This record gives sequence, C-alpha cells and structure tokens, in this order.
Amino acid sequence: MTLLRLISFQYVRKHKLRWLLTLAGIVLGVAVFVGMHTANQSVLRAFHQTIDRIAGATQLQVSAGEAGFPEEALEIVQNSPDVRIAVPVIEASVNPGRGNLLLLGVDMTGDRSLRDYDLENNNDDAIDDPLVFLAQPDSLLVTRIFANAYGLKIGDKLPMSTMAGPRDFVVRGIMQSGGLASAFGGNLAVMDIYAAQKMLGRGRRFDRIDIAVREGVRVEQAQERLRKLLGGGYLVESPGARGQQFESTAQIYSLVSSITSMFALFVGMFLIYNTFEIAVSQRRSEIGILRALGATRRQIRTLFLGESVVAGLVGSLLGIGFGLLLARGIAAYVGAMLSEVYGVAQNVEDVAAEPWLLAAAITVGTLTSVLAALIPARDASRVDPVKALQKGKLQLIGQGENMRRRIGAIALFALAVGCMSMSHIRPLFYLGYLLAVMSAVLFAPTACNWVTRTLRPFLKWLRPVEGALAADSLIESPRRTSGTVTALMLSLALVIALGGIARSSYKSIQDWLVIALNPDLFVTTNETLTSRSFVFPPEIGEGIATIAGVDLVQMVRTVRINVRNTPVMLVCTDIASVARKAHLPPREGNPDTLYNEVAQGKGVIVSDNFALLRKFKLGDVLELPAPDGTLRMPILGIVTDYSDQQGSILMDRKVYIEHWKDTAVNVFRVYLDKPSFEPAVRARIQEMYGGRTRLFVFTNQDLRAYILKLTDQWFGLTYVQIAVAVLVAILGIVNTLTVSISDRKRELGVLQAVGGLRSQIRGTIWMEALAIGFTGLVLGFVVGAIQLYYTLEISRTDVAGLRLDYQYPVNIALVLVPVILGAAWISALGPAESAVRGSLVEALEYE
Amino acid sequence: MNKWLVALAACTAFAQDPRQIVEEVQKRAQSKSQQYEGTLEVVDAKSKVSTKRWEYSRLGAFGSSKSVLRFTAPAEVKGVALLVHNHPDRSSDQWMWRPAIERDQRIALQDRSTRFFGTDFSYEDLEERDVNQFDFKLLGEETIDGHPCWKLESRPREKKVSQYAYSYLWIRKDHYIYAQIDAFNKAGLARRIKYSDVQDVQNIWTARTIEVFDAAKKSRTTLKFEKLRYNVPMDESAFTLQALRRAS
Repeated sequence: MTLLRLISFQYVRKHKLRWLLTLAGIVLGVAVFVGMHTANQSVLRAFHQTIDRIAGATQLQVSAGEAGFPEEALEIVQNSPDVRIAVPVIEASVNPGRGNLLLLGVDMTGDRSLRDYDLENNNDDAIDDPLVFLAQPDSLLVTRIFANAYGLKIGDKLPMSTMAGPRDFVVRGIMQSGGLASAFGGNLAVMDIYAAQKMLGRGRRFDRIDIAVREGVRVEQAQERLRKLLGGGYLVESPGARGQQFESTAQIYSLVSSITSMFALFVGMFLIYNTFEIAVSQRRSEIGILRALGATRRQIRTLFLGESVVAGLVGSLLGIGFGLLLARGIAAYVGAMLSEVYGVAQNVEDVAAEPWLLAAAITVGTLTSVLAALIPARDASRVDPVKALQKGKLQLIGQGENMRRRIGAIALFALAVGCMSMSHIRPLFYLGYLLAVMSAVLFAPTACNWVTRTLRPFLKWLRPVEGALAADSLIESPRRTSGTVTALMLSLALVIALGGIARSSYKSIQDWLVIALNPDLFVTTNETLTSRSFVFPPEIGEGIATIAGVDLVQMVRTVRINVRNTPVMLVCTDIASVARKAHLPPREGNPDTLYNEVAQGKGVIVSDNFALLRKFKLGDVLELPAPDGTLRMPILGIVTDYSDQQGSILMDRKVYIEHWKDTAVNVFRVYLDKPSFEPAVRARIQEMYGGRTRLFVFTNQDLRAYILKLTDQWFGLTYVQIAVAVLVAILGIVNTLTVSISDRKRELGVLQAVGGLRSQIRGTIWMEALAIGFTGLVLGFVVGAIQLYYTLEISRTDVAGLRLDYQYPVNIALVLVPVILGAAWISALGPAESAVRGSLVEALEYE
Repeated sequence: MNKWLVALAACTAFAQDPRQIVEEVQKRAQSKSQQYEGTLEVVDAKSKVSTKRWEYSRLGAFGSSKSVLRFTAPAEVKGVALLVHNHPDRSSDQWMWRPAIERDQRIALQDRSTRFFGTDFSYEDLEERDVNQFDFKLLGEETIDGHPCWKLESRPREKKVSQYAYSYLWIRKDHYIYAQIDAFNKAGLARRIKYSDVQDVQNIWTARTIEVFDAAKKSRTTLKFEKLRYNVPMDESAFTLQALRRAS
C-alpha cells in the first residue's frame, strides 16, 4: 500500500491523461454492460410489476394463447370445487391519443373479490353510480395518475376509436394511486368486460380467467385438477409464469448486449495491457532502484497488479455511473420497441440496477484490468536491477517470443477450424470462436509488423522524412503499437460483423417482402400491424370483397400460442389462395403438393427460424394447444418467413376456426384487379367502414416502409454497438499516440534540436496515426470476415434462427476507411501539437 | 273451556317450534304471483342519496319461484334487468340483462355476496328464503318496534351456498311476518334488514318498506313497494332470457 501511494500514485499523477484514456476501455465496457442489463432488467421488472399489480389476489390464471377462449370455459372453472372465485379478464393495450393505456376488461359484479380497486374515499360511490357504470358500456374507471396527467374528472369524456366506431368513454370512477392503480405506470383503465368485448371486437371470448382457490385447497392441487378439467388446450399457471414471450425476447437483448460489453471490455483489456507495458518500460529505472533497495520480485509484481486493481475499480465505478445514465435511454428504447413489435404492455417507471449486477460489473471490470496487467507485471518483476539502471529501449519483441506467438496463433487457428467442423456441439462452436479470436490476437503483432513494413516505402515516397520516421517508430515499438492495433482490429472486426449481419438481414427481408407481402392493400385494426388488441369480424372482409376492382380478399388471423413453452406466432389464412398469390418456395417439403395438403388441413408449414430455434424438422408432429384440446399437426413444409422473431406456423383458416372457435380477423390482404384501382378501392373501404369501425388501410408501399422501419428499430442496437466499437477504436489511437509522444519526448526533442521543422514533427505524428489506423483497418477487415461468419452462426442457431447469406459489408468497410483514418488524424492533432509546443529543454533534460 | 285450553296449548307448542314458525311465515305469504313497483333509495355514509325505480314480477312461491326485476329509472339504467330462478334444493340461478350491449350475463354463485348494483342488498338478499334450505333454532322472544317477536337463529344447510354464516330472524307474532333480520358473516354483523309499514294487501300481511343497513360501509338502502298486487295472472314465458331480450 505504501509503495502504491509513494510510487504508483505519483506516476499516475504525472500521466493523468494517459490513465484516463486507459480507463476509458474499462469505463465503456462496464457502462455498456451495466446500461444494457439494467435497461433489460428494468423493462422486465416493469412488466412483472404490471402483472403482479393486476393479478391482485389471483393465485392461478387460465389462458389459451392470444386468441383467448369461448366464455363457456368460465362456468366450468367456476363450478370446480377447488375454486373460490373465478373472474374473466380481457387485457389490451390501446392508444386513446394520450399515450398507451392498458385497458383491463373485468366483470365488475365479481372482480372486486379478487382485486382491490382502492377507490377514492374508500367508497364504492367513487364509481359515480355502480349501476350506471354497468348499464352504460362507455363507463371507464381510470387511475388518479392518469386523471391528473390529462386533467380528467368524473363525468369527463375520453374519445377512443373502437370496433364499434368512434366512442366517447365517460370517466365514472377514479382509483387511488398504489396497488392496481399503479400498474403500467398508472396508465390503466378498467371497464366492464362485456363492453370491452364489443369495443375490441372480441366476440364472446375472454383472454383469461383469474382464480382464487378455495380455503384448504393447495394451489398446485387445484392447478392440476383444473388442467385435467379443461384439457390440453388451456394453460393453468400462476400469474408470475406469464410473460415468457417478453422474457425470451429480452433474453436476446441480454445475449447481444453481453457480447457487446464483453467485446468492449476485451478491447479495453488491450488498451490496459498497452499502457502497463509502456509503464513498465518507462519505469524500468524506477523498478531497478526499488530492486536495488531490496524490493523483492513479488513486491514489484504486486505493485503493478495493485495498480491494475485500482485502475479496474476506478474504471468500473465510472462505468457504472455512465451505465446507469445510459440505461434510462436504452430502457425507454427497448420498452417502446418491445411494445411495438410484440404489443406487450409495460411501462418502465424506475430504472435501477440490481446489487448483483453492480457487483458483477465491478468484478468483471477489475478482473479485466488485472488480467491485462498480468504479463506487464510479470515482465516488471523480471527486470534485472543492473540492466534496468542502464539507459536504452526495451520495445523490441524478441525474435523467440515472436516465433512462439506465431506458432501459438497457427495452433489456435487449427484448433478453431477443428471446432468449426463440430459446430453442432454448441460449447465447441463457442470454444472455436474464442480460439479464432485468440489466434488473431496472437498473430496481430506479426501481421502489424508485416503491414507496417509493406507501408514504409509508400509512406517514405509520400513524405521522405516524416514517412520513414513514422514507419520506423511503429516498427521499432511493436509493444506500444501492437496493443492498439489489436484493439482497433477487434473493434473493426465487430463493426464488420454487425454491419454484415444487418446487411444480410435487410436483403433477406426485402426478398421475402417481395413474395410474401404482395397484396395491393392491407386493412388492419391498428396503426401498427403488430398490435392485436382489436380484431375484425369476418363480415367486413366479405363486404370488402364485393367492392368493384377487388380481385381477392385473404383473411388473416395471427395469434401467439405456446409451443414447447415458447410463444410462437400462428398465422391462419386461406392457404389455397396464398399458394396462388404469394407462393413462398419451401426450403424443405414438396413444392408441388405442400400447399394443397396444408389447405386440406393435413398439416402445417413452419418458418425456417421456428424449425431452427425449436429444433423441429420436416415430418415432425407439432402439438398445438387449442381450446378444444391438443391439436397434433405434422410439419409438411419449411419456408423462409420473417413474420415473427420467435418463429411462425402457417395453418389453414378453416382448421383454425374449427379448433379455436374463433372467426376473428387481424388483417385483410386485398388483391386488386389492377394496381391503378388502389386509390378508389381504398376510398371505398373507408367510406363503407371508416365511420362504423376502427379500420386502417395501408398500401403495399406503406406496409413495406413500416416493416423496414421495424427492422431498423431492431438493428438500432446494432448501430449503438457499431458506435461503441468505433469509439473504442478511436480511444485506442488517442491513447497510443499520447503514450508515443511522451515516450518519445527525448527523440522528438533531439529531432527539433538538430533542425527538424515543427511541420515535420507534426507530419511524422500524423503519419504515424494514419499508419496505425490503416494497419488496424487491414487487420480488422480480415478478422471481420471471420467474425462475421461466427456472428451469422450465432444469429442462426442461438438468437434469431435466421439463415442469412454470408455477405461481406463492402459498403460499411468503405465507409470505415475515411472514418477511421479521419479519426486517427483528429486523434493525432492534440498529441502532435503537444510534441511541437513542448519544452525543448525539458525534452533534452534526460541527455 | 278445556278444549280451548288444549287448543291454546297446542297452538303455543306449535308456534314455539322454530321450523314451524318459519313455515307459517311462508304459508301466510304464499301467493301464486306478486307484482310491484319499487323505489330504491341509497344513502351512503356521507348522506349522498341516489334513487332508482324498478318493476318486479314473481311467479310461483318459495323454492320454485321465478322473478324478474327491471329498472325503469333513471334513464341511464332503464332496461337493466335481473332474472332469478329459485330452486328448492339448491341456490338460485341468476342472470343479468344489459340492454346497452344487448347481452345477458350469468351471475355466478361466487358473486352472490357482492352488492346488487351499488345498493346495500347483495344478490343473495334478493333470493327468497326457503325454509327447507336452513336449520332453525328458537332463541327467545323480543319486541321490535313495539311488536312482540320470536327471535330465531337460522343457519344455511350444506347445499345452500351462502355468504352468511348465520342470521337472527325476528318474526312478528301477530302476523307471522319478518320484523328484522340480522345477517352475520365470519367478521360479524354484515347486514341488518328491517321490515316496516306493514299492511294487509289482498289478505297477505306485507311490509311495504324494507330497509337494509350495511354494517361495514355504514350505508343504508330503503326499498318501498308501490302498486303491490298478489295473484296477478302471469305467463311463465315472461321469466326467460328470451323474454328479457324481447322486452328491451
């Protein structure tokens, strides 16, 4: 501790900027780690809070997927001897033009036995008149938070677009804040369930039944008996078990954010390694004196490791601070996106990290720093006191060490290739990935040397003095340069991989859009296609089909169902007409008979990502939970379909109606006789139904733009990752140059003393920076090609199940060239000026 | 004289059998049908008053009766109706009809303890108390509002699903009609129902005012009977869900 205070602290104080830049790697890595995970946790917590607060005293919930189930199931549950109270619920996220509002449809006659509405004045009369509330379907109970936010009081009207046309809802009660009223951030409204059915177009169906079991009956016992009573098509579970879909989607973000933050930390590790290596080299004489005064090797090693622990701790703490700031923005973004894509209602009220996450962040940040300092600390402890007190450089990597690295790199690469051939065993695949990265890291100094030597003639040709000096400085200081180049290489490799995956996805989605989404018009109940709160009756589709100029109307019902405990999208439509109009060529299955057989109800078609993620293959029999029991359907075909990230199952509408007893429609796909009829048909649809029901008509172009916007949102985080990677790369260059200048103060001073012009000094440093940038770019592009392969594989098998083509993102690579070279040049401006304007006397003091 | 004494003794013995007292109440109230217009006044703990009107029709009596209660005022609630089918051996079936959304809704047994449309009556209170669904115990004699009464305890039999653990009944000795009912749940007194303004209507002594006091909420609901008539000819088909729909 005394050594730390007397020696290390003084050194850090003298090199504040360098240490700050070094810490930036840790700060960034930890910030991304804490920010992303805190945001994910906050979104999940908000979701679970909403579930818990809505659940009230509910012990069990009966559901049957998103389509809900016929009302008759309620009586069966209510008559069960295990059940004390069973109340039906409809839950929907609506937007009355005042932000998202979670609408809870409940049976007010019995629901208060299960949920405390905590009405103001603790009096039922806060519902102005319970009989009027029930008698009038426009009655709404809102929370005090919502009422205050929009200046609503009892008797005020809240207009909403419903399936029965535009309606003015009347506030007939206000719930006190807290408990149920604080669910969904207080943006909650309660209405009568039968009125909600009409408003949402749900027919005589409920979303779920909330249950309290009879006294003396164990919940598990009741759950088991209810499962038997209702059959395989119903889920009977505790309220906490809800939200699997949400969690599985958030898990994807967790995985992606973990990879990004780990990568940032990995890159940061090289920055720290670099700084410590330079520190060891700069402090050789200091180490020599300490050793000469009796300090043991162990004490020297401990001193450097102690410095790394302090650096790791400080970096982690700063990272946590930044991460928590980041989390707020990310939480809002992830929450909004999940709502948009999945229509899952949640509202992030407070963003707070859990203690374990903070502990993990500090541990990971500190460990990264210690790991990075291990080799420099070992080198420091091996310093010979006699040699250390002599002047000279120690930047060259010994020939033997260089050879060992090359052999190690080749061996690791061979092992990585071996693992690649066994990539179906996932741990081996990931081991191969790690080995490939390690191989690239080990090979980086050699490759860096090769590239710089190749570059030297060009630099010399460009600027004889500055070019040669810059190239030689890099060649002769491999320790100083290779760490930065490695960091830059890894960052750029990540950018190439992420850019590549975004490009492949875009192309695949666009190809799919052309075939699958080819109708001229789409008629939906929502501004967003993903929200399924409102549904159409089929009669509207029949009406649209009679409009002059309409060739065909396909009715599509999309609902989430649970398959193997994962929510997947069931897409139900008239398969025969799909085969005629939007024939997706199957990846597997007989293209001649497939659609016919599915149209006859002999099986289903599944999306490629569903098959990949859920490990299904052609011919496997799917067990689909339908309200009338478990429906067993063989997989007759596998197609590329991007309808849903969790995968989709395509079924004929007749089969769906038969087993789900649900004729509702989410989207009408309208084909016209001629594309030119589009404005007239669109106007006619609005004229026929616009005032009567809630309806939106999109053109094909609108829809494509919407889907590409969603895709953009999905890749929004990818762009954040790219930005992080570029930032780390820039930090690396600034760090190296700053170190380089202070390290070469004497050299630069001598150069000026013997007549070197300021412009030449400046030019040398600029060219050095550009050379580092260029070397990093070359190596980054090569390693990026390998990284892209692994990223596509991870995306295909473990994240999204998307079989994307390997397409090197040439455009992104081209953009990176000026960005990185420009950044390198800008990074060099400060250090170059510092070198030029530095005191010559101070620089030559050493001599 | 002896004959009278024997008769009187027999009558007293008969009267003091709690079950027979309640049977006598039922017997005296027996009618083929009943019809009235009711005015309902709810006074909450803060003395806020709300008034509603309804029409009531009952066909049959005790155990196997069917009734329809339909709100007539105010305008916002007009047409909302409750159909009750009583059964001798189990709890009644109840449905609500809501004209604004044109649909009926079954009131589950579990919901019978909830308040009837914001009044102090629960759905269960609207059922007829059939002697065969309870066990009775005579607790003594007391005077209620100046009228000598028998005080009985009634407990629901196993098949009867009730929110109340037990009730105390005060039955007027003069006309064999209820003077007061205190209904208790596990927490204590839940509701107190008082019968007043007793009149002879077509030879049936009837309380024309019923007041319910909710002990937990400290609110009070008063129901007044107007245009009360017994044994009015009625068609059984008027007591079905289809009839409710048609009538709206």
